[in-house]
Amino acid sequence: MNRKKNLRLTGAIALISAVAVTLAGCGRGGDGSSGGAGGESTGITDSTVTLGITTPLSGATAGPGTCTVAGIKAYFGAVNAAGGVKFGDGKTRKVEIKALDDAYDPQKAKSNYDQLKGSVFAMTSGLGTPTNRAYREAAIADKVPQVLVQTGDPIFDDAKQSPYQLGFVPSYANEGEAFGKLLASSGKDLTVAILSQNDDYGEGYVEGFKKGIEGASNVKVVKELTYEATDTSVDAQITQLASTHADVMFNAMSITPLAIAALQKAQQLNWKPSWFLPSNTSSPEAILKPGKASAYPGVYSVSFAKAPQSPAFAKDADVTKFLSDLHKYAKYKGTPAFPHCMWSYMVGATLEQAFQKMTDPTRDSFMKALRSISDFKAPLMLEGTSVNTTMDGQPAVSSVVVQKYNGTGYSTVDSLG
Amino acid sequence: MPTAVGLFSRAPLRWVFTAIVVIVLLVVPLVFDEYTNQNLARIGVFAVAVLGLNVVMGYTGQVSLGQIFFVGAGAYVTGYGATHGWNIVLVFVASVVIPGVMGLVVALAAARLGGLAIAMVTIALPIVGVPLAKRLSDYTGGSQGISSAFSNAPAWTGLYNDQWQLYLVIVIGGAVFLLTRNLVRGKYGRAFAIVKSNEAVAASMGISPYRYKVLAFTVASLIGGVSGFLYMAVIQFTSPETMTFGHSITLLASMVIGGAASIVGSLLGGAYYVLVPQWTNHIDPNMTELLQGALLLLTLFVLPGGVATLPRVIARKLRPKNRSTGGAGRQETPSARPAPGREAVEETPSVGGIPTERQEQA
Repeated sequence: MNRKKNLRLTGAIALISAVAVTLAGCGRGGDGSSGGAGGESTGITDSTVTLGITTPLSGATAGPGTCTVAGIKAYFGAVNAAGGVKFGDGKTRKVEIKALDDAYDPQKAKSNYDQLKGSVFAMTSGLGTPTNRAYREAAIADKVPQVLVQTGDPIFDDAKQSPYQLGFVPSYANEGEAFGKLLASSGKDLTVAILSQNDDYGEGYVEGFKKGIEGASNVKVVKELTYEATDTSVDAQITQLASTHADVMFNAMSITPLAIAALQKAQQLNWKPSWFLPSNTSSPEAILKPGKASAYPGVYSVSFAKAPQSPAFAKDADVTKFLSDLHKYAKYKGTPAFPHCMWSYMVGATLEQAFQKMTDPTRDSFMKALRSISDFKAPLMLEGTSVNTTMDGQPAVSSVVVQKYNGTGYSTVDSLG
Repeated sequence: MPTAVGLFSRAPLRWVFTAIVVIVLLVVPLVFDEYTNQNLARIGVFAVAVLGLNVVMGYTGQVSLGQIFFVGAGAYVTGYGATHGWNIVLVFVASVVIPGVMGLVVALAAARLGGLAIAMVTIALPIVGVPLAKRLSDYTGGSQGISSAFSNAPAWTGLYNDQWQLYLVIVIGGAVFLLTRNLVRGKYGRAFAIVKSNEAVAASMGISPYRYKVLAFTVASLIGGVSGFLYMAVIQFTSPETMTFGHSITLLASMVIGGAASIVGSLLGGAYYVLVPQWTNHIDPNMTELLQGALLLLTLFVLPGGVATLPRVIARKLRPKNRSTGGAGRQETPSARPAPGREAVEETPSVGGIPTERQEQA
């Protein structure tokens, strides 16, 4: 009796397994060649091309993240309204954008990528180092372009390690180097004090700066200190650096309240060097005014985009078109508070260049076209900067200009003083 | 209804049911497309994490806001081991034991505190974890994280990567679920339940609340480590952002939504963690968090005991009209089926308004 039951049970299991395995055999046969990530021409038809973005649209980085979508939507919104992009293969296509929120979570970014890869031609414009890194290897394996992403991480610019990747914004080292070169070419004897964040952010700036002053006998680094991103005060470091009476303070700092406190503390100690700040902590309203930066002989930063807030560009043709596109096609309200809106707009312009150059509607042809853009002056770019994708190891924009705070905004300078 | 219950509890039927589940689990990776497989694997990863949280919170009643720290620790150990070419079994053991030891050390101190103080201590874990992961950049890759493709399908299997990864999750995750189920249904489970409902009573019965709290917390961190290993196997990347405090809160919300002190609830919690951000993204990528918040509130109003209690709620609603649906609707949790005459107990919410499986069995 018991044995009979067991036999019946075994029979049932065997039957179910047989059915299941047969089903399984049919299941995956169809898409064996494409592997789910799609082929060379996924996301591109004779009339449209679809781009995917994963970027933080909620959480602490939602402000800049929203901009990374708004700018490119504004650019292609205007292009689509005028008919579309004329591709190198002779067809005119409209550009569609699928943007998903990853909340700056690598896991969600990977999930978004998995979701998008079967339907988009390329991934672009997304903000964040960890989120872009999270799907970098998968994108290489699937041969999905992950291009003009907004991270300063140099791994995206290395064509050997990352054949389907390209970063857009200048790396931290690019920014530091620009300032270093300015000091080296000033011809004055200068002493420099360095305070940097103890992570890849600070190291990138310092490395670039040292490269910029390499071989310049007139510039001497007299003291170099670091702080932790979690520190609540840098008064001790500023006091030590002030005792050197250096002429220049190179402050590679990404924390807004600390940047303000550092500017204030040095004034209290009556140490007033020329002061360098990274592009993301150089806001006139948020940092320089509360830090009373006008007390210093000069506060310097770097940039490559025209700032819509600046009175100097209020009537600039690029800026007015950008703002109207942004309001009309991206439904973005007010003046953008983050430079990522401008950068994303330039990403759109750079992609359009690549589209116009690509001769076949394939990802391969697109990557080739994208890597052959040189000296392209995208809208909103400052004089002296350009898009150049032909240099291996460099992001699409590696040129920045040094700017000096003039009491209300920044203006470009070519020498110290 | 009594007949339905009687029918289902017969041993052979239960065996057939188990066999079907096992076969379905074995076949699923072969049938679905790549994206579905990847999603199922992700759900498995977070279901295991929620399960760990359930052991310490759902079953033992100790508020833990640090579960994501153990997931992150497991992921980092896995990433480090895999990139340094350790044997994969060693990697797995290390990724479970190291978070477990961390959990034990924290628990030895934290379990001495009562109630909300434990919550405060566990809050510290992810808050310390993120800067620690950035600082120990020789081991963790700093803020750029570690990626490792150690879990790609070996050539001899002839499987796609997504299929292989899903098998890993099913086998390892399934084993953890089985072990945990046995743990919480045996003598330890009963001890956890008493510690949860009243520590003084527990002590009077010779059950040391301190010891069992430490045990539950350690088990939770071991399971968190397993989840971290699977995280690395499926997502193949980790960075300090993996263990931000917000994710711990989302894990907690997933546990409550899935169903506290419920094995099936942990699975549903994992599904919530993975799928809801995707759905809200489809509705409007600019309003994901708002929609998730709304959904959380809605679930708590409609199903305060979590989605796992849905069959019970439906059964209760349908009972006057159709008496036999109750048993059928509960197929997935045969051991938690409500017996006649027990409904009165079920409808009385336990501590914190969360009815538990344990109550039914008590």
